[in-house]
Amino acid sequence: MFIIILNFWGILIKTYKLVEVIGMLIERSSSWKEGFIQRLENHEPWNNAVLYNMSYEITKNNLITDFTGLQSLAYLPNVKPLPHQIKAAERVIEQMNGKAILADEVGLGKTIEAGLIIKEYLLRGLVKKVLILVPASLVNQWVEELYTKFHIPALLYKKNYELDYVDVVVMSMDTAKRSPHKEKIFAQDYDLIIVDEAHKLKNHQTISYEFVQSLKKKFCLLLTATPIQNDTFELFYLVTLLKQGHLGNYEEFSSVFSAKNRDEERDSYLKELVSQVMVRNRRQDTGVEWSTRKIHTVPITFTDNERQAYIAISNLKQISPLFSDAFSTMTLQREMCSSPDATMVTLKKKLQECKQVEEISYVEDVINQLEKLPIHSKAKKAAELIAQANEKVIIFTEYRMTQLYLSDYLYANGISNVIFNGKLSKSSREWIKHLFKQQAQVLIATESGAEGINLQFCHHVINYDLPWNPMKLEQRIGRVHRLGQEHDVQIYNLAVKETIDDHVVKVLQGKIETFEQVVGELDDILEMKEQSV
Amino acid sequence: MHSTEIHTYLHRFFTENNCEILHENEHYLTVQLTIDMDKRIMNRPFYWRYIESVNEIPNPAQLTLITNMQQLQNGMKGEVIHLGSPRLHQLFRLTKEMGQYVKMYERIADTNERRILTPWVGVNYKVSFTSHQTKEILYSVGINLMTGTVVKEFQETIGMRDLSEQSSEQVFHLPYIITPIRALDRLDTVITQVIEGEDLTWVEEAEKRWRKDQAVLDYFYEGQEPKPECYEMEKQAMEERFKPRITVDVVNGGIFYLK
Repeated sequence: MFIIILNFWGILIKTYKLVEVIGMLIERSSSWKEGFIQRLENHEPWNNAVLYNMSYEITKNNLITDFTGLQSLAYLPNVKPLPHQIKAAERVIEQMNGKAILADEVGLGKTIEAGLIIKEYLLRGLVKKVLILVPASLVNQWVEELYTKFHIPALLYKKNYELDYVDVVVMSMDTAKRSPHKEKIFAQDYDLIIVDEAHKLKNHQTISYEFVQSLKKKFCLLLTATPIQNDTFELFYLVTLLKQGHLGNYEEFSSVFSAKNRDEERDSYLKELVSQVMVRNRRQDTGVEWSTRKIHTVPITFTDNERQAYIAISNLKQISPLFSDAFSTMTLQREMCSSPDATMVTLKKKLQECKQVEEISYVEDVINQLEKLPIHSKAKKAAELIAQANEKVIIFTEYRMTQLYLSDYLYANGISNVIFNGKLSKSSREWIKHLFKQQAQVLIATESGAEGINLQFCHHVINYDLPWNPMKLEQRIGRVHRLGQEHDVQIYNLAVKETIDDHVVKVLQGKIETFEQVVGELDDILEMKEQSV
Repeated sequence: MHSTEIHTYLHRFFTENNCEILHENEHYLTVQLTIDMDKRIMNRPFYWRYIESVNEIPNPAQLTLITNMQQLQNGMKGEVIHLGSPRLHQLFRLTKEMGQYVKMYERIADTNERRILTPWVGVNYKVSFTSHQTKEILYSVGINLMTGTVVKEFQETIGMRDLSEQSSEQVFHLPYIITPIRALDRLDTVITQVIEGEDLTWVEEAEKRWRKDQAVLDYFYEGQEPKPECYEMEKQAMEERFKPRITVDVVNGGIFYLK
């Protein structure tokens, strides 16, 4: 009985307090009252009665009647968001308080989710100014999508633009983080900060990271399909950028989650914490019929001559201290698994550093061997695969020299191709993409060229060289395996047997396991050796 | 709002503003803007400054607004208007601006009726509850300037009466006992009371989330004194995100003489 009375008083006191607080919370504007007085004193004319009634009707119709749910959908007849996109937007706004990492798999429409969230906040008046930071190559795409799909006029920032009267601005990260642009940004008061391709912030010692860290984040969205590229610390820094303290401080995090002492229980605890600030939809969760990925590992056998050259390169470290660090040997070995041309460029550079006669003659001898090699076994295999496919194919390589080497070789074999890399300007990128779609059978791309372009019209991907980072592979595949792809996607991972390539595959597998334990399942990237039973 | 509602709205809006509807069917309309309307919505101040400085004959624009694209044959050129399109929201803003204050009289047609009208002040309030989320409520209240009686849903009440901007002839308007300004103060108090009666659990919810985030942040910087700048910044961001606020805006209002 006593407890009941106590509770009763508790409630009463609480209610009383709340009412008192409410009085203080209320803000009123006095501008209407002033206009009213003006008219009472006959200084201004009264308004039209029909417009008066219409104004009331409009206000009533457009009223935000609920704290929850997306009001914006009624305002967007030009977009038909998929269920997982609507759910994601709602979760970010209602449960995550507008601070989230949007980490859907590549091609599931993270931009749509971000657009929905921006629109909803603008409509509800919770956000007025928005800053969108993206890689330079995606600036135009963002401005266009926001306008055509969401009716949000966004400014494409150029030098000398003033930001005072612009509500929504899209800027390239590289511009934004430098003076005088960053000072201009600091002078504004942004309510919502969006960073696209946020995995670029994985390193907390970069200028980009520090820059984003120094922005006030009332609401903030970080977009990346690949929140972990190499290890869990990247995720720690990404989450910390979004919400300091959510994963504890660095010392605690590293003592609990360092790679050495992992166990499943801790991993699932981390996964749970991460899921509080991260939305990750997988293709299979979307309810959309997805074409599947067919992964083929294509083993290549070196010819005797190639093998000899490979061994000669591997032995370089015994000949000269110039090659003694593990990195340079590894680079050369990887290049040898790609093309003789890539290897030669590096070797010739090294040759200039050689002083001793034996060194010079050994290196020259290796270069001679390389020059005499007939066409590289991997290149031959790639040409075979293209002929078999008899459709459009994208080849990814790590090396510019290999890119040229392949292009020449394919041309010689009557296979039309175009080259795509990070050095192309925006307009040439569009042009090359167009050529690939209309005319060429093959697109030969390097990593840096691949970001953000959408090539659903193609469904063969050859990973000519494998990168160390599985997320780069995921990004590559994501160029073609995205919404709108109608065919099964064929992926060919080429690896030369008994070389450094084997090692790369092993490292990739290890990293994929880390990702899956902490973030969640991944769609197939590699053909896994043995699915763990 | 459906396309037919939007169509009706557009038609009424332009007619009330003396813009002639040149042609229309139920899916589109073409309207001749007046000079005044052109200046308000076409966003071309340089054109108008030029025309006026050289005394050229002005040529205000014609607009074709399409409310239902699917129902029209191809080839129709014009702006597609739907809820969310920038043009419609521009017109909404303008409507609000142009319909803020009225003075209206109830019509007395019957000669046998008592020819006396009582003054009221009626105000439509939009109340917004804001923290990390929002909700809006519309209240329409009126106060009798003779007796001080307060009526809720005032707009609905006057919607049912026959009102005019001109007073009927030979009608006696009772003078105020309560001045309109005092009446506004009284209505402010009424609105505050109404708000206090609303469900206010959202305030507690916002504060709960705020405290939780603050605790996480404090933990991150535990033992660091003085706290670095980024701590203060995040704290500030948190306040902006979660602090519960209630704003009361007047949509419109006016003086009403009623039977």
